Amino acid sequence: MTTTRRNLFKLAGGAAAGTILTPVPWRLITDTALLSENWPGVPQPKRGEPSVRFGNCSLCAAGCAVRARCIGGQPVSLAGVVEHPLSRGALQSALRNMRSGERCAVLDLRPGRTASWTYRRAMASIPNGTYLSASQPAAVDLAAVKTILSLGVPVLDGWGTPGNVLAARSRFRLIQAEASESRTAIMADEWLPIRPGSEAALLAGVTGGSIAEAAAQTGLTEQQIVSLERELRENGPSLVLGPNGEVSGDVLVQRREAPVPDEWKKAVPVSELDSMADGSIRVLLIDESAPGDYLPWPAIRGKLAPESVVVSFAWSKEGYGRQANFTLPTAVYPEAVDDIPPAIDCPVATFRLAAAWVAPPDGVVNPVEFIAGLAGLDAKNALQERASAIQKSGRGTIFDPAGAGKPADLWKALQNGATWIDDGEAKARAKTADDKKRSSALLEAKTADDKKRSSAPLPLAIAMAEPHTPALVSPLCSKVTYESNLRLGTHGAALHPSDAQGAGLTTGSRARLETAAGSVTVDVTVDDAVPPGVIQVGGGPDLQNVCGAALRARVVRS
Amino acid sequence: MTSSKKSIKPARYGMTIDLDRCNGCGACMVACAVENNIPPVPPQGGDRKGLTWIRVYKVDNGVEGAGRRSAFVPVLCQQCGEEPPCAHVCPQQAVEVDPATGIVGQMPERCLGCRYCMAACPYHARYYNWWDPAWPAGMEKTLNPDVAPRMRGVVEKCNFCHARWHAAREQAAADGKPDTEPVSYVPACAEACPARAITFVDLNQTPPPATGFRLLEKLDTQPKIYYTSKREWVRKIADAPHPGKEPSRG
Amino acid sequence: MSFPKSISATLPFAAGLLIALAAGWAAFPRAIYKTVRQPVNFSHKVHAEKGGQKCDDCHSFRADGSFAGVPTLDKCAACHAVPMGTSADEKSFIDQYVTPNREPHWLVYARQPENVYFSHVTHVKVAGMKCESCHGDEGSTDSLRPYQEDRISTYSRDIWGRPAAHSLFRTAGGMKMDDCVDCHRRQGLAHSCLDCHK
Repeated sequence: MTTTRRNLFKLAGGAAAGTILTPVPWRLITDTALLSENWPGVPQPKRGEPSVRFGNCSLCAAGCAVRARCIGGQPVSLAGVVEHPLSRGALQSALRNMRSGERCAVLDLRPGRTASWTYRRAMASIPNGTYLSASQPAAVDLAAVKTILSLGVPVLDGWGTPGNVLAARSRFRLIQAEASESRTAIMADEWLPIRPGSEAALLAGVTGGSIAEAAAQTGLTEQQIVSLERELRENGPSLVLGPNGEVSGDVLVQRREAPVPDEWKKAVPVSELDSMADGSIRVLLIDESAPGDYLPWPAIRGKLAPESVVVSFAWSKEGYGRQANFTLPTAVYPEAVDDIPPAIDCPVATFRLAAAWVAPPDGVVNPVEFIAGLAGLDAKNALQERASAIQKSGRGTIFDPAGAGKPADLWKALQNGATWIDDGEAKARAKTADDKKRSSALLEAKTADDKKRSSAPLPLAIAMAEPHTPALVSPLCSKVTYESNLRLGTHGAALHPSDAQGAGLTTGSRARLETAAGSVTVDVTVDDAVPPGVIQVGGGPDLQNVCGAALRARVVRS
Repeated sequence: MTSSKKSIKPARYGMTIDLDRCNGCGACMVACAVENNIPPVPPQGGDRKGLTWIRVYKVDNGVEGAGRRSAFVPVLCQQCGEEPPCAHVCPQQAVEVDPATGIVGQMPERCLGCRYCMAACPYHARYYNWWDPAWPAGMEKTLNPDVAPRMRGVVEKCNFCHARWHAAREQAAADGKPDTEPVSYVPACAEACPARAITFVDLNQTPPPATGFRLLEKLDTQPKIYYTSKREWVRKIADAPHPGKEPSRG
Repeated sequence: MSFPKSISATLPFAAGLLIALAAGWAAFPRAIYKTVRQPVNFSHKVHAEKGGQKCDDCHSFRADGSFAGVPTLDKCAACHAVPMGTSADEKSFIDQYVTPNREPHWLVYARQPENVYFSHVTHVKVAGMKCESCHGDEGSTDSLRPYQEDRISTYSRDIWGRPAAHSLFRTAGGMKMDDCVDCHRRQGLAHSCLDCHK
């Protein structure tokens, strides 16, 4: 047999035929397919022992009860607790060198917590210590209300405790007075389209102020406003929600706080930022770890002394971290323990905890312990002390989603997701002359502001389309923002086609939104549901900073 | 792949969605992403390349100004009847209707990514993985071990949270219930909806609502998702009388 | 040596055929598999006889019906916090894993791809199958067999069934999809994709 090319080919042919009859090619094909399923491009979920934990979410004021499905102790999904009565299924140097009259202040964005008491106690031990609450907690009895007039407040889109509001929906008639058809306006019983920025005038009009002025500003007829006022009176009990947090109506209740230990009563009183003199705050400590109402930075800046020090305690740099001198990182739900104050639609006091389910990263600071430490106060066990005071008072009932009945140890039950609910009937709060005074003062202030700016009138009125979102938005919220355009993201703005065309903008354009308070980059969406002459903006702090205090804007292509 | 003999009593799962209750909050979309290990897509994808197994659209009555009325419509895989258009066109036989549950199952492990099914689906309810799944660092710890993440290059869609059906059947087996008894479970979107707009039902046990309508009924796809609304203009939109000119966004 | 023409003509072909067959059936399996030892030299036999344990004492079902699989360290440490016997293997296990509280990385012979869903409770409780019918007679082995890992796909050789012939001719044993489907068909069970995939 000679070595010819032909023989070589025959050998190769035999080898090929033989190879096909062996596992080699088939195995390699299968293995390649299997390899493609396992390559590092696709993360593999971790395995572990499944368990269920109950708790409360502290990411917003609603504090909804949550049931966490955990794998190996790590929560992998959260669901609501349907039977929960509240949420119904559906989160040293500056100090020493302060000059006379200068204050050290803590700005609490979510007042009403046990931490709030700790801050008040700490400030009592610091010279000129002041406790500033970002908002006045009010309480409303939704079960009793028959008519709600909302002036741009997103009643059905994040107000109060959403599960509770939606469960009570069929019992009240909702009139939504708003410039554009927001989510709440779509679901309301009646949508009253009014001119943007005229909410305060309408509020005055229906609470005893000038009806003619209200009609002129809103674009409604005087007859409409008169019948609106009559409906609120005759179809009561009614509730009016103003654009700047004003709450008035017969369903306001006097909600007492959950009991506190008597020793704590030695604390500074609650003050508001507005009542501080301009330039009087030397040291400002902002607790942003429990997000709540967002005060626009310009409002805060005016109260700061020339050589002030601002420290922000936050879990994201996107909030006050951009203006503060120092940002100290804190843990975020579900890494931290905190109690959640009752929401606006809860007529009685409650006490519930957001427990720590995962360990926070290294280097985080606990703002309560830090600030208490400044005053030499030991506040490590404040929550437990509060729980003891509550248990000792003998008041209230306990809802335990884990179903253990009345637990002997309140503190242990709270850590496993139980909620203490005060008893006692909701006592109606007497209507005071202050309510009326406040709304007309607001109207005067707004008109004065407008007159100041009328030297350079800006073309667009601003409508806040999305409720203020916490600075850190979950990456999965992309599903409802840029993956579907359902909601405006933190830097989103929507314009009517005619306004967009005028500025040379299309959907997806980058633009600069300019107001009297500053400017910010926005991502534009063109939407003919937005009324002409209005720009709808999303809820991020950047936008809140420039839009909160101002009413008119201009947008230019970047 | 599917044999005809049945060892369990078949269910025919479907949904009733009340469009008068949906307020467009999007909680269903996020809950779906958490349950089914759906990653956020890179921002350059936009809404054309988003992975939203359930997606809420905003529709309106087409009137400008004060007469405008809007509504929100959650759209997910409509789980078309016995012969879904997507199953017909798949060259890989990666789509089939489960006789035990009526669920139209999409098999990403069998899919070769031709996207013919996406063209065939009249509801645009199928989504393609343009990228390998990527969660921000550390977020892989929160993945659901009961659902396999998909690689890039394959199509995926809603399967009524089939992992929860598996879990319900395991629980029934552990409890000693007879194999022939159908189980009840709730998909993530129905569980998350704060307005209780989505109701998950076994259509073999609960007949569909008398006033219910389905999307694009004229195509005779026999979907198992029924919508209800008291508003006439919303019902009309379900028929898409002006294709391509629908006043909708989102 | 000279051959008759017809044989000499086919000789190269036949030679190639034989070489390929030999390489494919004998050499290839040796090359494609890497032998990895289990982290601990565990004896099922000792635990079954001396410990009096049955399969489900360690490989148990949870209350919700899910299967716990290979036991975690706490199950072993419950008894082996201190040495129960005199073997060196047990001592090294305690030193390396129990004392530092480190989970042993067991290599699971039956590990399936991520997209496969297998319900143990359905097969064991509802269908009444025995562990041995799919996993073989592990309970009586004195040591764990080495894990033969496919170098490319990282799955165990046991998935394919022990004989290499399983690749071409379906023999008994093995845990590939075709094996599951065959058994389901023999039992006359309805099945669809989503029954076994997730």
